[in-house]
Amino acid sequence: MFAYNLRLAWKSLLRNPVLSTLIVGGIALGVAISTAFITVYHVFSRDPIPGKSDVLFYVQMDNWDPTAPPHPHESGIPPQISYRDMRELMRSKIPVRQSPNFLASLYVFPRDAKARPSQEPIRMVFSDFFPMFDVPFRYGAGWGRAADAGPEPVVVISSELNERLFGGRDSVGETIRIDRREFRVTGVMAPWRPSIRIYDMNGDVFGEPESVFMPFNWIEPMEIRTAGNRDNWQSFDGDPTYLEILRRSEGCFLQMWVELPDEASRQAYARFLDAYTTEQRKEGRFQRPLDNRITSVRNLIQDWEVVPPQSKAIAAISILFLIVAALNLVGLFLGKFLARAPQVGVRRALGATRGSIFLQHLIECELVGLIGGAIGLLLSFGVLAFFNTVFRRMSQSEDFFHLDLTMVLAAVFLSLVAGAIAGIYPAWRICSVPPARYLRNQ
Amino acid sequence: MPFGPIFRAMTRNRSRFLLIVAEVALTLAIVANCVSLIRESQASLKVESGFDDENLLWVGSRPFAEAFREDAYLHHAIDSDLVTLRTLPGVRAASNTSFIPWIGGGSSTEVRLGGNRYRTQIYGVDPAVFDTLGVTVIQGRNFTPAELEAGTGSDPDKVISPVVISEALAKLLYPNGGALGKIIQDPSGTDSFDVIGVFDRFYNPYGWPIGEYAVFLPRRSGGFSNFGFLVRTQPGQKDALMPEIEKALLASNDGRNVRVRAIQDIRREYDSRDRAVVMALNAVMILLVFVTALGIVGITSFSVAERQKQIGTRRALGATQGDILRHFLLENWMVTSIGAVLGTGLAYAINVGLVTLVQQAKLEAWVLAAGVGLLWVVGLGAALGPALRAARVAPAIATRSV
Repeated sequence: MFAYNLRLAWKSLLRNPVLSTLIVGGIALGVAISTAFITVYHVFSRDPIPGKSDVLFYVQMDNWDPTAPPHPHESGIPPQISYRDMRELMRSKIPVRQSPNFLASLYVFPRDAKARPSQEPIRMVFSDFFPMFDVPFRYGAGWGRAADAGPEPVVVISSELNERLFGGRDSVGETIRIDRREFRVTGVMAPWRPSIRIYDMNGDVFGEPESVFMPFNWIEPMEIRTAGNRDNWQSFDGDPTYLEILRRSEGCFLQMWVELPDEASRQAYARFLDAYTTEQRKEGRFQRPLDNRITSVRNLIQDWEVVPPQSKAIAAISILFLIVAALNLVGLFLGKFLARAPQVGVRRALGATRGSIFLQHLIECELVGLIGGAIGLLLSFGVLAFFNTVFRRMSQSEDFFHLDLTMVLAAVFLSLVAGAIAGIYPAWRICSVPPARYLRNQ
Repeated sequence: MPFGPIFRAMTRNRSRFLLIVAEVALTLAIVANCVSLIRESQASLKVESGFDDENLLWVGSRPFAEAFREDAYLHHAIDSDLVTLRTLPGVRAASNTSFIPWIGGGSSTEVRLGGNRYRTQIYGVDPAVFDTLGVTVIQGRNFTPAELEAGTGSDPDKVISPVVISEALAKLLYPNGGALGKIIQDPSGTDSFDVIGVFDRFYNPYGWPIGEYAVFLPRRSGGFSNFGFLVRTQPGQKDALMPEIEKALLASNDGRNVRVRAIQDIRREYDSRDRAVVMALNAVMILLVFVTALGIVGITSFSVAERQKQIGTRRALGATQGDILRHFLLENWMVTSIGAVLGTGLAYAINVGLVTLVQQAKLEAWVLAAGVGLLWVVGLGAALGPALRAARVAPAIATRSV
């Protein structure tokens, strides 16, 4: 019966190609727009690190100037922490893993002396960083905890830099020169493109991960400065060296992440933070009201409005757009079906139930919906490709917005809904046609 | 106008008109809220820096040669780059500074005045910066070369630095005027700024609401890892100069990489999110109005086709073509208006939700009024074709049976 209805629907579509094209086009337009915009929202809002959004926590402490108004960041306290506090926090054994990080920018010198050196973005991290953020490796792995303390001259490089420096081969064990030192490669990352660069929500959130990851403790011997934001309210008399400033300053430029797997460890860590700042207050620091925070990835994304709020609004608007497009088709279907009333009258007289007439016409609408949806899905590739070119600068990626299985299923669902919106009323009208009226005039 | 009969005729076939009412209402509600969102994004696209953005370039120089670690070598390199830049044909002015317009940030500090503290942007500049940006020192004077030299050397005894500040900052600090010659202090109280000049225009977006406030300090800007220049070109020379500048600077000193970017491109990048929002919403609105117009054409055509016999009868009883045309247009106008009334309510309802997402996207009454006007025009335009067809229905059709 279903196959028979499908065949009827297909024939009916072919009978009036202009009208059918209009209807299919309307649904295609609606599905294309809504799928594309919902995808944008979906890409922005999906869980950037499944399974870890609720165990990775971001640490903030209010060491801001006690005589000044609250820090102007939206959280009301400095968004990052200072080097001296980071040193103390790293002593805690409560987190199963922990790593501060910051962005630096240093020159990498190619083997070939004739090639020009290139300034590369470098992320300074501890060894725990790699398992914490599920960094994928193509060759080798991150360095061991033992290499953190020294620090040892080891690095992890991106697959893109490995391509440039080593032609893509397994370069584990080879050395590269960064600034004035030689570093040994312990791991080459697989191409890695998190939808949100969660470990740096103060910087370019949609940017690409850095090309080099280096042991954090090189900060002192190499006097590495941050290439990201640094908030400071203090200045020193005299002419202090970089290291003196680094160790004494309240300047905040570090993003501190800790992995706390359960409620007990969270509470313990919160108590540890409070105990630390309370102790520091006795020495004259942290003179503002006690305000230490640990925030999960999930909450941080919301609290800091990492996802552009417009994307949600536009996704909602695009669904309304689909509804309007579908409503438009109600009139067209109505005309198409009612013109067929005499035939339906004959079928009804020959014994077809109202239900089967209704089903037949609804199937026709859903068929149109699905054809339109398929075309709409293809169109939405075009729309997303266009968004990618607009956002290229922001995301530096060719396919930042792309359809995944969820979105393809969503598109199918949307086209069925559109078919139903457009078809239910006309199908109901046509199935309630009284057979006798049309038999009379035949 | 025969509203009564038209309305009664409509009630005999409610579903059709309810469809148009629903479409018009939804369209109005969506368009009005889209416009509110667009206005929010467009506001930031329209802001002007006050500089000659069109002809400005940022020239970034990133040394890797060890020699640049020496201050004397670095300062000499900066000075000789400035000479190279200024002698290139097509360059109007060049300045060594740490200020990059439209990068979306920069450096800031607090100044203390009386018991109050004010946050402001602060940048190292040389005396050529005003001419390069295309702004004017309207009170006081520019820096002297001697002040640039004094600011560059690290002199522990120096307590007062001359500064030139933006007019907006001068007004913030001294609402009654007279900023010139005043001493303001940095928050630690160890350094003081002597306001020797005020310049007229400055806007650079910053994470904090301090876009218009700027303090310019005389000093050579940059360190081992990078230094840079703002270059103002003669009108129309910008694109041709970009590769020239890179070539000339590398020719004079090869121990670094050079990157030249147009300030307009930097701004475009800064604006990309807002521009994407505006483009997406414009596309949705245009398509939506188009789709709604198509829907009205479809339903009105259907309604005309269905009422051929009644139209013929009216014509046979003496109604003119104009009467029939008027009937359908008026009918359409009434339906659109009912849709507009419902749409107004719906628009405000949607806006309540929207404002929780994007605070500045509050719906304004004139946007709705304009939307209603637009839908009247679109509705009448869409109904015109079918209505004309209705007017041409021959009276004789009334005498035929179906």
